[in-house]
Amino acid sequence: MTVSWKKALRAAVLTLVLYSAAPAQAEYLHIQLKVYGLDCEICARGVSASVGRMEGVENIGVSLKTGMLEISLKRGNMFKMSDLRKRIKENGFRAMEAKVTAIGSYSGSKFYVLGAGESYNIGNPATKDSTPTEVTFDVK
Amino acid sequence: MLTSVKPAMRYFLPLLCLNAICLWADGHGPAFGFSTAILGAGDSSVGTAMMWRGGVAMIAPEVAYSWNGNVQYSLSAPFHQNHGGHPVGRFTALTHGDPAVEFLTAWRFHHSLTGVGTRNESTLYVGASATTQSLPRADGPPLREAPGLYVAAATGHVSRRFYAWEGAGYEHYASQQDHQSDTALASLVLGWRPPFLENDYPKPDWRFFWETTGERIGKASRGVTSVDTGGHDHGATTPLPPADASGVVTLPDSGGNAVYSGPTFLVTYKDIALQSGVLLPVWRDMNGIQPPQRFRAVISFTYYFLGGKK
Repeated sequence: MTVSWKKALRAAVLTLVLYSAAPAQAEYLHIQLKVYGLDCEICARGVSASVGRMEGVENIGVSLKTGMLEISLKRGNMFKMSDLRKRIKENGFRAMEAKVTAIGSYSGSKFYVLGAGESYNIGNPATKDSTPTEVTFDVK
Repeated sequence: MLTSVKPAMRYFLPLLCLNAICLWADGHGPAFGFSTAILGAGDSSVGTAMMWRGGVAMIAPEVAYSWNGNVQYSLSAPFHQNHGGHPVGRFTALTHGDPAVEFLTAWRFHHSLTGVGTRNESTLYVGASATTQSLPRADGPPLREAPGLYVAAATGHVSRRFYAWEGAGYEHYASQQDHQSDTALASLVLGWRPPFLENDYPKPDWRFFWETTGERIGKASRGVTSVDTGGHDHGATTPLPPADASGVVTLPDSGGNAVYSGPTFLVTYKDIALQSGVLLPVWRDMNGIQPPQRFRAVISFTYYFLGGKK
């Protein structure tokens, strides 16, 4: 019994250390996503309602004319682009290229959005500094 | 004037009230023909349609639920509002023509998203139904309830300005004695959203369709053991032929081939869709003597529950 308590304590401490090592605000802030297939008001409304219910979404706008989704996200969110693309697909549409603003840090040529656990190869980083920084980049 | 309005109001008010209570479902495409539209994953809709043809009025409440964005289930239960010689065959591609409970599964098996506002897609429909009321006939006792199976497929192109869907289906009734007529039907739907109505979201969305449906309906049969509850007098009927060896009489005044065509429209705004249209007979070759179907009309309302998936 004593051993299991020690194990639990050790695991808890390790989790806390790992969690605090990640930047406090590494997250998506703004996403402009092109979506194929949106032809009608009900389609747009369905996507808007469905994406609007995802964790971290603060605001969403949909344009039928341009096929663009414009998503603003709450600070401290755990939002993932992969979840967004999956949600769009579940609504019967296809997520295409996106312009993303996120806070994260560089490691080599990769930009890590650590809160989401997602990374992007966005070319030459503006800075080699690994401290969290806000970057806007295109995702194909 | 007042005396002529009152009976009409007595008839229409309950229908309108019923529509307000149980709004229509699945009004996402054309009113009569086949389409490929499927709701998003977890989304659902409820509602009802009012339908008229050949002197028979029906109401069809319906619910629909999309499982994963490509598979949708719907349950509809059209029923009579008045009685008369009941026309055979489906009312619309996706609504049963008899008083029945019908469960339909739609599977969008092909889905190609080719641009902003553009899709090419194909959907397969499989359904099972059970008629809930005997079908009144002028030539004798009503046809008894019978289970039915329905298979159909639709394919189409969807864009911001133009729509085109074509589809075909076959309904088979399984019954040892009474055979409601098996039905084959096909449709071609062309749709248009005028440029001046290409509003951006969220604004009312208007679409106009020209729908053409064709149907080939077999002759109904009646088992001689049918309970005689009396026919409905709609004038002359063709004398019935003798029963065959298994005791089944083929009804000469049933089935036939026909093509209907006409305009419909669909408007959606927020969570509501309103749809209506009229089809007129272009060509009819009916068997024997049957109540004329000078038009087919439908009005439907849909209420959507969108963003169903957390």
